[in-house]
Amino acid sequence: MRDAYDAIIIGAGHNGLTLGAYLARSGLEVLVLERRHEEGGGLCTEELTQPGFLHNVHANYHTFVDLAPPVHDLDVRGHGVEYVRPDVQMASIYDDGTALTIHTDLDKTCGSIARFSEQDAETFRRLYTEAHGYVDLLLGTLMYQPPMSVKELTKALSTFDVEGRSEFLSVKLRRETINQFLDQHFTHPKVKAHLAFHGAVCAYTNDVPGLAIGFPLLVGKIDNWHLCVGGSHRLAHALWRDLAQHGGVMVSDADVRVIVVEDGRAVGVRLADGAEIAARRLVASTVSVEQTFLEFLEPAALPAELPERVRKDVKHKDWSLFSVHLAMSALPRYEAAAFDPDVDRAWVVNLGYGSLQELNADFDAVRAGRLPEPKPNAAVNSLYDPTDAPAGCFTGLLRQFAPFSIAQGGEGEWESLGRWYGYRCIEAWRRYAPNLTDDSIIDWVPYTPQEITQKLPNMVRGDWMMGEVSLANMLDQRPLPELGQYRTPVDALYMAGSTQHPHGFITFAPAYNALQVIADDLGIDAWWRQV
Amino acid sequence: MTRTYEAIVIGSGHNGLCLAAYLQRAGLSTVVLERRHEEGGGTNTEEPVLPGFRHNMHAQFMEFFDIMPMIEDFGLEDLGLRTVMPEAQAGITFADGRPPVILHRPDLLDRTHESIARYSRADADRYVELKYRAASLEQMLAANLYTIPQPASLDEQGEMITSGFGDMGVGPQFLMKSPKNVIDELFETPELRALLYRACVEWGYPIDGQGTGAGFLLFVMWTLGNWKLVLGGTHGLAKAMTQACYREGVDLVENVMVDQVIVEDGRAVGVRTRLGEFRATKVVASNADLRQTLLDLVGGEHLSALWVQRARAYRYGPSHVLGTPCFCLYEPPHYKSARWDPAIDRCFYTMVGFDGPDDTIRYIRDAYSGQVPKPAAGTWVNSLWDASQAPPGRHAATGWYFLPCASELTAQEWAEVRTTFNEQFLDVWHESAPNMNRDNVIAHKLYTPDQMERKNLMREGDFSNGEFSADQIGPNRPFPEASNYRTEIDALYLCGPSSYPGGGVHAACGYNAYKAIAEDLGLPSPALAERGY
Amino acid sequence: MADIYTPEWYSEVRDAMNARIATMKELPTDEILIKVEIVGDGVSPYVAAAAERHFLVKIEDGRCAWYREVEGDDPALTLNYRFRGSTTTFDEIAVGLEDPINAALQGGIKVRGDMRFLMRQAEQVQVLLEAYATGVQTSWPKGRPPYAPSEQEQVRA
Repeated sequence: MRDAYDAIIIGAGHNGLTLGAYLARSGLEVLVLERRHEEGGGLCTEELTQPGFLHNVHANYHTFVDLAPPVHDLDVRGHGVEYVRPDVQMASIYDDGTALTIHTDLDKTCGSIARFSEQDAETFRRLYTEAHGYVDLLLGTLMYQPPMSVKELTKALSTFDVEGRSEFLSVKLRRETINQFLDQHFTHPKVKAHLAFHGAVCAYTNDVPGLAIGFPLLVGKIDNWHLCVGGSHRLAHALWRDLAQHGGVMVSDADVRVIVVEDGRAVGVRLADGAEIAARRLVASTVSVEQTFLEFLEPAALPAELPERVRKDVKHKDWSLFSVHLAMSALPRYEAAAFDPDVDRAWVVNLGYGSLQELNADFDAVRAGRLPEPKPNAAVNSLYDPTDAPAGCFTGLLRQFAPFSIAQGGEGEWESLGRWYGYRCIEAWRRYAPNLTDDSIIDWVPYTPQEITQKLPNMVRGDWMMGEVSLANMLDQRPLPELGQYRTPVDALYMAGSTQHPHGFITFAPAYNALQVIADDLGIDAWWRQV
Repeated sequence: MTRTYEAIVIGSGHNGLCLAAYLQRAGLSTVVLERRHEEGGGTNTEEPVLPGFRHNMHAQFMEFFDIMPMIEDFGLEDLGLRTVMPEAQAGITFADGRPPVILHRPDLLDRTHESIARYSRADADRYVELKYRAASLEQMLAANLYTIPQPASLDEQGEMITSGFGDMGVGPQFLMKSPKNVIDELFETPELRALLYRACVEWGYPIDGQGTGAGFLLFVMWTLGNWKLVLGGTHGLAKAMTQACYREGVDLVENVMVDQVIVEDGRAVGVRTRLGEFRATKVVASNADLRQTLLDLVGGEHLSALWVQRARAYRYGPSHVLGTPCFCLYEPPHYKSARWDPAIDRCFYTMVGFDGPDDTIRYIRDAYSGQVPKPAAGTWVNSLWDASQAPPGRHAATGWYFLPCASELTAQEWAEVRTTFNEQFLDVWHESAPNMNRDNVIAHKLYTPDQMERKNLMREGDFSNGEFSADQIGPNRPFPEASNYRTEIDALYLCGPSSYPGGGVHAACGYNAYKAIAEDLGLPSPALAERGY
Repeated sequence: MADIYTPEWYSEVRDAMNARIATMKELPTDEILIKVEIVGDGVSPYVAAAAERHFLVKIEDGRCAWYREVEGDDPALTLNYRFRGSTTTFDEIAVGLEDPINAALQGGIKVRGDMRFLMRQAEQVQVLLEAYATGVQTSWPKGRPPYAPSEQEQVRA
């Protein structure tokens, strides 16, 4: 490592690497610093159970990889990343043995829904078609540019009379929950349950007011989930490679402790081992607001009220995920396959949520710090990526909505409960796929909400979206109004990670949007803004 | 779909990465094809037990960084490679709490002297003197490492030994001796012998191997106590090398197993994989082990009967076959022996569970003969020097058991070893370090040779990809006809540890393979006059 | 009355836009370059199937300064917006059968560029679109939408 670079980026998650690659391609000398020994952040793939079994520890679903501008600009596919778009994307299996399947073929999806309600199938077809029509517009407006305010957005939608021109878009959405949206347009509880479940997996909890505004986008992409062949981590390699090929450097095991500020301007960082590195033009943080403003910066460098606002007003997700990673010698054979054989080929399976009430009840329990009776969702990536396990074997992933902090005990309780709850999640899976006996499970490990934060401290309190997804924490208000446009009160210091608009997940958007602001501020020619 | 490059490197172990970087810099479009999802082969660091606790699963002690050309030539330190060098390097400690024997860093030889002198002043004097002699030969030893081996006559080698060590009672006959013979002749202290027996195997040669006695004097004595720790874990070297490759423009494709080397008219022209064919217009180099390369990937039908015979006869293990236990601890071990010398509590490599030379030699011989030896290990706690390797207030300890070759036990038996052996060792550890009771251990796991075979294709779990016996080292490695990295297939080269100088993190196999390729293709030599290689 | 897609027609559209714009306050001063791409679809007779007609439109101080027909993309120019759609869609908008916002929402016209600016200038955009859709008397020498299904479509049906 040299002692000065043009740009220092804290955190080599996909946002940090993306921003770094763009800046390197723009001719800046870039250094990306990563505390862990591996780059990628949530793009983390490890042999958690046994050698040869590749488990995606965090990000498993890549939805925007054919749409995000950085995928094209940074030639991600040219760097060797392969994606598969499973043709049976998702399924719900209900307790009565029926099932609903979502396909990349719209007719098949509607056919599946029609078995529950023909009216709902027709509605879905209209909703999907309508959403599909404006999804590019939505992405360009809402995702891949710095945010406007909810008010501006609503005013524009009103001026354009979008409500009058579409069946499903309405300014009322900004006050509604996804439950309300579903109740208005759909009839069958199981259909509604699946759609709400889909939203929840995307971190758009079905009972939160205002999230209905994002629902059409979720539906427009409901069949666009992609699997990264060889594990999500390959995307991190590709981004790192692009950074390095254009002269940037990523250093792992670099524990940033201080952002050095002189005369109100960020001028560098100091690492835990005392090394100081100067930043000639900018420092960008892609880690949490708490780390950036409470750990790395002295209060004297900040407006007086900011530290307190960070402590009190930064909102985190009120539920986290408990996972079980399995090394298996058999694929699940669902009893529900008798109803719909495609469930055996579904990438992600909702095990058991059959109504909005059930989802609501579990989220209430989780928010109160209780562990619900497991209704995990199951993903067997090996169905579509046989390279992720030895021949004849399979990797399995169970994910269960769970609290970070368990009532009366806090997150430390997970140390003693992880194994037990994992076993119960596996039992839940077995109820739907009884062929998954002990013989077919070679090994398994739990991964608790507490471990999320231990592994990735930027995911404060198990918050893998790096900020609550709600109307109050959206667009230019996210994570705080004074940070909502990627700039901070400190000159030359930017926030460019998932704390920022739009939010977490593998979108590349926070970095891409921060890049626009940085380019404007620094007078960098925006070569990527090709229209 | 066919992709064409000028050079294909099979395997992204550190030797393959080294070769790829030099080839690309010399102007050849190069692709590295890696079977696993991570590059680096044995330069591997993971969190196999609990998040935040890191363990180097294979390579741990870095002896050659001061002389490794790639570090200098590609600026790996600017690309994130950082190290620390613990003061107390290798030690042995005892259940009865008697004084430890600790070998220190070369700049702290007076402490080494003091430690050995507690047992024998003569041994202390001799050890320190041998260290000085070996160190003075460093320039030559380094040049030897990074040069394609030439057969040297026994007379020449004998002269070298005599001129370097003759006045210390060493003569040409030492070439014929086993390391144990040499150790026993030079040193009298049982405790020191025990330490050196094991260290010799860890860092060099089978202890009873006839004909490697000189290697002990030259190689083992040179590298003993010269070890650095890569901050963050050994994988940091792989990352810096990968980053160097990326910067040069090397393509690196993971998750792609090479199924076959394509041979046309006696020439290697590419490889076949699940992604289709990769064609190489100039070079195919293999970082995979010898048998895999020649018999599986090329196939006996393309080789002469002699080469098939040689490949089949090439032996793996038993001396570099290890099990890697990983422990997540609250506190690092505090040894009874520390009351004599507190440095044993902060010693880079600590032997635990050995009482003296006899039980050490029995341990080694048990493993060599296919039995699981008694629970005893070489251990280390990297978090003592590198806080990033464990969560705050915790420690990550790792170790090496000598275990039999993978094929000596059934899958069932290995599973049994994985379930029971760590617990047995913990009892032993507790005897030497009273704080190593079960309360101090948060979790643990054992990684056995059969798993190494599957994970890294280290046949039999042998991390050197071939036994270090006299007939398979130096200009005989892997066998004389293949000892200069070239094969009898045109354009096919060997660049992994099945070639000289063997296992270890030196990148010399890759560097020397580049030299051979450079000679053949008229590429620039990587040698620098000022360093001599 | 000018024929659709002729220079005279575009001049009339420009004048109609600028007349409406003149009544608006607080117009952005940015210079904006817009490319409009009308793609032949084998239904509308105004652009041959597999052919395209491209137009550049320059906005200055909120007004349409000029337009011109061009071939392809000029790498020397930095575009701010690109509107691309089938000829039939553009025809239907000009004749009042289709609404431009609707076309954008349904993906019939693809819009690329700084959407935030577009949304903030929603009123102005609305006015410009209205001018295009309804502000000019147009004649349709080759026929006007709705178009009868082409022979190919009839055969398919």
